[in-house]
Amino acid sequence: MTTKPKLKEKRIGLFVCHCGVNIAGVVDVGKVAEQLKDTPGVSFSTDYVYMCSDPGQQMIIDTIKEKHLDGIIVAACSPTLHEKTFQEAARLAGLNPYQIEIANIREQDSWVHTDKEKATKKAVKIVKSHVAKARQNENLDPIKVDVNRRALIIGGGVSGLQAAMDIADHGYEVILVEKNPSIGGKMIQLSETFPTLDCSQCILTPKMVEVSRHPRIKLLTYHEVDSISGFVGNFKVRIKKRPRYVDETLCNLCGECEKVCPQVVPDEFNMGLSFRKAIYLPFPQAIPGTYTLDAENCLGLNPVRCGKCKDVCDKKAIDYDMKETITEEEVGAVVVATGYDLYTMQALGEYGGEKYDDVVNGLEFERILSASGPTGGEIRRPSDGKVPRSIVFVQCSGSRDSEKHLPYCSKICCMYTAKHAMMYRHRVPDGQATVFYIDVRTGGKSFDEFYMRTVEEDKVLYIRGKVSKIFKEGDKLIVWGVDTLTGKKVEIEADMVVLAMAMVKADGVQDLLKKLKIATDIHGFLAEAHPKLRPVESLNAGFYLAGCAHGPKDIPETVAQASAAAAKVGDLFAQKELVHEPTVVPVNDELCSGCGICLTMCPYTARTLDPARGVVVVNEILCEGCGACAAACPSGAAQQRNQTDDQIFSMLRAMLRD
Amino acid sequence: MFEPQIMCFLCKWCTSSAADMAGTSRIHYAPNNINMRVMCSSRVDPQHILYAFKEGADGVFLGGCHPGDCHYVEGNYKTLRRIALFKIMLKDLGIDPKRLRLEWISAAEGKKYAETMNEFTEQIRALGPLHLNEKALVQEVVKDE
Amino acid sequence: MKVHYYPGCTLKQKTTALDISTREALKRLDVELVEPEGWTCCGAEYPLTEEKIAGLAAPIRTLRQVRDEGGDILVTTCSFCFAVLKRADRALQDDPLKHKRVNAYLRDDIQIDPLTKARTTGFEDYNGEVKVLHLLEFLRDRVGYPRIRERIKRDLEGLAIAPYYGCRVLRPREEMAVDDPESPRLFEEFLEAVGCGAVDYPFKQECCGSYLSVSLPAAATEASYRVLRSARMNGAKAVAVTCPLCFYNMDHRQDAIKEAYLDFPGLPVVYFTQLLAWALGVDRSVLGLGEHRVPADGLFLEIPATEVRT
Repeated sequence: MTTKPKLKEKRIGLFVCHCGVNIAGVVDVGKVAEQLKDTPGVSFSTDYVYMCSDPGQQMIIDTIKEKHLDGIIVAACSPTLHEKTFQEAARLAGLNPYQIEIANIREQDSWVHTDKEKATKKAVKIVKSHVAKARQNENLDPIKVDVNRRALIIGGGVSGLQAAMDIADHGYEVILVEKNPSIGGKMIQLSETFPTLDCSQCILTPKMVEVSRHPRIKLLTYHEVDSISGFVGNFKVRIKKRPRYVDETLCNLCGECEKVCPQVVPDEFNMGLSFRKAIYLPFPQAIPGTYTLDAENCLGLNPVRCGKCKDVCDKKAIDYDMKETITEEEVGAVVVATGYDLYTMQALGEYGGEKYDDVVNGLEFERILSASGPTGGEIRRPSDGKVPRSIVFVQCSGSRDSEKHLPYCSKICCMYTAKHAMMYRHRVPDGQATVFYIDVRTGGKSFDEFYMRTVEEDKVLYIRGKVSKIFKEGDKLIVWGVDTLTGKKVEIEADMVVLAMAMVKADGVQDLLKKLKIATDIHGFLAEAHPKLRPVESLNAGFYLAGCAHGPKDIPETVAQASAAAAKVGDLFAQKELVHEPTVVPVNDELCSGCGICLTMCPYTARTLDPARGVVVVNEILCEGCGACAAACPSGAAQQRNQTDDQIFSMLRAMLRD
Repeated sequence: MFEPQIMCFLCKWCTSSAADMAGTSRIHYAPNNINMRVMCSSRVDPQHILYAFKEGADGVFLGGCHPGDCHYVEGNYKTLRRIALFKIMLKDLGIDPKRLRLEWISAAEGKKYAETMNEFTEQIRALGPLHLNEKALVQEVVKDE
Repeated sequence: MKVHYYPGCTLKQKTTALDISTREALKRLDVELVEPEGWTCCGAEYPLTEEKIAGLAAPIRTLRQVRDEGGDILVTTCSFCFAVLKRADRALQDDPLKHKRVNAYLRDDIQIDPLTKARTTGFEDYNGEVKVLHLLEFLRDRVGYPRIRERIKRDLEGLAIAPYYGCRVLRPREEMAVDDPESPRLFEEFLEAVGCGAVDYPFKQECCGSYLSVSLPAAATEASYRVLRSARMNGAKAVAVTCPLCFYNMDHRQDAIKEAYLDFPGLPVVYFTQLLAWALGVDRSVLGLGEHRVPADGLFLEIPATEVRT
C-alpha cells in the first residue's frame, strides 16, 4: 500500500432513503444516518422518506449548496435506477457528477434479508464502504473528441448500398469501396426474390443507380481497403485502387473489345456456368458502366503479345500502363458490409464433392433461373443442356451439422429452396420437385404462406430426412435419403440436384478484418457488441456492421440492418463532439516501467507502448474502463479513475473490520 | 453460532444485476455477505482478495458473466485464469482454497445468486472462522484512520 | 528394413493369399516382416461392450510384445485387425482409467518360452509406444512410392481396378485418422503407383455386408452386389480389397449374388497385395490365386518376354 500525502478532508453528505417501508421496514435508516454522522469525511447525515422525489432531490441540492459539500452518498435503491437522477441533481447544485456514490441498501439488503438487526448492521457497512471510496473520489470530466462526419462503407452489395444512401441522405459524405468491378453484390445475381418473387435486378438496380448518382457518395469500385488507423470519429483509411486498364469515363460499352479478345475464361457472375472474355462487362447493368480488363487472364497487357482490344477501341479508353495506386481518406465511422459466400461443395464428399456437373448450389441455380443467365432463363442442366424432369433439392447442406460441418442454421435456405422448387414447377409443369428437409423455417412476413403455396398449389414433394449420398449412375443422379416420418429409406433418380449450401463468411475478407482488428465470431462472421441490445455495432468503437457479413439473413433483414447501422452512424455524427465515460484506466508515467503486460489485457487495443519514452500510453477514447489491465499491472501504474486500488483497500477495510 | 463474513466482488453487468434481481424478486438469503460492485470481474486483483481475507473476511466470492458473454469481451476468461492460479497460491499461504469461490451468474439468474449465497455461507460456516489477521506474522500498521 | 507385421488369424488359415502375397511383395521391396512372438487373435471386432478389459487386453498385449522386441511400428493388412489394434491403442491413450486397468491386468501376464519353457512375468505398462499402420500407409510413408516404382517389373498398363476401402480403414473418422472418409485418396494413389488405373466409383466406402453374411445373408448379398455392380459400371476389371471379410462377401459369395441378381455377370476380386506382388515381378504361383472362387487368373497373365521391364 502506498502512503498518500494527506489531502484536504472531504465534506461528504450522507442521505439515507426510507423508500417508504421498502428500506425502512427492515433497515433502521435513522440509526444508519446517526451512526455514520461522525465518520471521518462525513459533514452531514440525514434520512428522508423518498430521496428520488422532487422534495428529496431539492433537499440534496440545497444541502450541497448550504453545507458546501464536495461529495454525496445516497443510500437507497440500486444505482441502475436512479444514479443518473442524483447525478443530475448534483450537477444542478454545481457538484461534479462523479462525486456521487449510490449505496445499494434495498435490492442488496432490505429486500433480501429478514433479520432487522443484521440488515441494519449490513447497511452501515455498505454505506461505510462508499464513504471510504467517496473520500478519494476525484472530479472527472467526460472525455471529448471531434468527429469527422464522413462515413466509409466497405462493400457494395445491397447492405452497403442501403447504408450509403441513408447516411448520404442525412447530409453526410460517404465513401463506398467495392472490390469487384461493379456494385451489386450477390443480390444482383439472384433471379426472383422471396416471398414476393420480385425480380432481384429490377429492385436493386434503382438503388445502384441512385448510389452512383448521389452527390454525396464517392463510389470507388475495383478498390480495396488496405488499412485503417486512428479511432472513432478520426479514422485514416488507405485505399488501394486496382488498375482496370480501361478509363471508365471514356468507355461507352460498345463491346468491340470483347468481340476481339482471344482469352476465354469461366464467368464468375454466372458461377462458372458460362464464359467471358478477359476484357469484360460483369453484367449488363453493371455500375460503373465500363469494361474491365482482367489482368490475370489477359495475355500480358503487352501490345507485342496482343493488343486487339486497344486497337478496336474508338474511344481510346484502354490503357495498358495503368498502375495500382493508393489513396488516403479521412472518415469518422466505418460500416462493414462485406457480404458472404457459400460453403464449398468440395466439403460434401458424400454428395460427390464437386464432381458432378448436375449437382449445383443455390447461386448456380439462380443463374440458371435468371433470364440473363447462361440458359436464358430456361431450366436446363449443366452437363448436357437437357431439361431436367426431376430435381431433388437438399436443404441444410453443410449447415446444422455440428459434427462434420457448420453447426448453425443458414436461415435463408428453406425459403429459397421453396422458391426454387416453385419456379421449377412453374417452368417445367410435368417436372417432379422433391425437397429433403430437417425443418422448414419460414419466420418472416408472408413466408409461411409462400411455402404453403409451394406444397399445396405447386405440388412440391417435401420429405423430412437427410440425404446420405448422391452419386451418378449413367445419365441420372441417384439420391439416397430417408423419410423419417414413415421410417423408410428413399431412393430417387433425379436429373439434377440443387444443394442449399450454407452461407459462410466471405472469402478473402478475413485478412482485412484481422488487420482492422474487427472482432469476428468462431465462424468468421462479424461479432456484434451485444446480440440483443447492440446488434449493428461492433465492439470496436466507430465500426458498424450490416448484412450477411454479420450472419446469414435475408434481404428484408439485410436492408433493415443496413438502415439501422446508418442510423447509428447518424447518432455518432449528430454529436457536437464525442463524449466518453472518464472512468478509464490511465497510466502513471512515473510508476510505469514499460513491461507491457497491460497491453495484452486490453480487448480494445487502447494501450500502446511508446518506444521513445518506454512507458505505456492510453487512448482514453478507446478505453472502456473494465479494469483488467489495472489488476494485472505489477507496479500499480495503471489505476482506474475513481476505483483505484487504494479506494478498494479502503472500502474493504470499512466493510470488514469490526 | 459462528456467523461467517463473506466479501463479494460482483461484476456490474451480470452478477450485481443478478443480486439486484434477487432483491426485486424478494428472494431471501443469508445476510452474511457484503458486496462491492466492480465494472468487470477482471478488475479484481488477487491482492484485493488477500486483503479481504486479512481484514476479516472468512470467505471471498467473485461473480462474473458466463464465458462468451463478458461485456468487455474476455474479462471473465482473465478472471478464470487468475483465480485458477491464485487458488494454488492460497493453499501455500495457509488459506483453504475452498474459501474462495468464482461463479458465473448472469443478470437473469437472481435465484441462482441467492442460492449460491446461502450455499457458500454454509460452506464457510462449516470451515470455521479464518481470523487471518490474528494468524499473520506481521501486524499491519494503519496510516490513516 | 525390418518391420513388425501382424497377419491376424484369418490370414494364416482362411485367406493365406493375402499373407503370402504381402510377404512376397515386401521381399521385393527389401522389407523384412517379423511377426511378434506369440501373437494372438486381435479380437476381430473392436469391443463395444462395457467390460473393456477383456476386449482390449489381447490387442494391447500384442502391441506390448512389439515394443518389447524393439519395434515402434506394427504393420497389418487386414482391415479388421488394423481397426482393432489402432482403436485399442487409442483407447488407452484417451482414457486414463482404461490405461490403468488394462495395464494392471496385463502386468500379471505370464509368457512361457516355447523352447526353454522359461516363464517371464511382470511386464512394463504399455504407453502407446507402438504406432499401428495399415500396409497402404506403410507403403506410402515408409517405403515410398518412388521405391515401388523403380522396382516394378511388370507394366500393368493402367489396368482398371476399383479400390474398395470397406468400412474399417476409414471410420470412425477421428480415431482411424487415415484419410477423408468421403473423398479418400490413399488406395487410389497406391494403385497408380503400381501401374494400375484407379476407377472412381461411388461405392468404394459403402459396406460390403460384413458379418451379416452369417446372420442375414440377403442383406449382405445386396450390399456386396451394389459395390460390385457400381465398380463394373464404371469400367473396373476387378475390385481390389484389403480385408478378408470383404473378400469373402464379394468373392466367395459371388455365386449367391449372381443367383439373387441375374443381371450381374460377375467381377473378379483381388487383394491389393496380389497386384503389388505381381507388379513387382513375383511368380503367379505364389499369389494364392487358387483361393479365389471367382477366377482372377485373367488379370495375371504373363506378358510376352519382349515387353517385360528390366
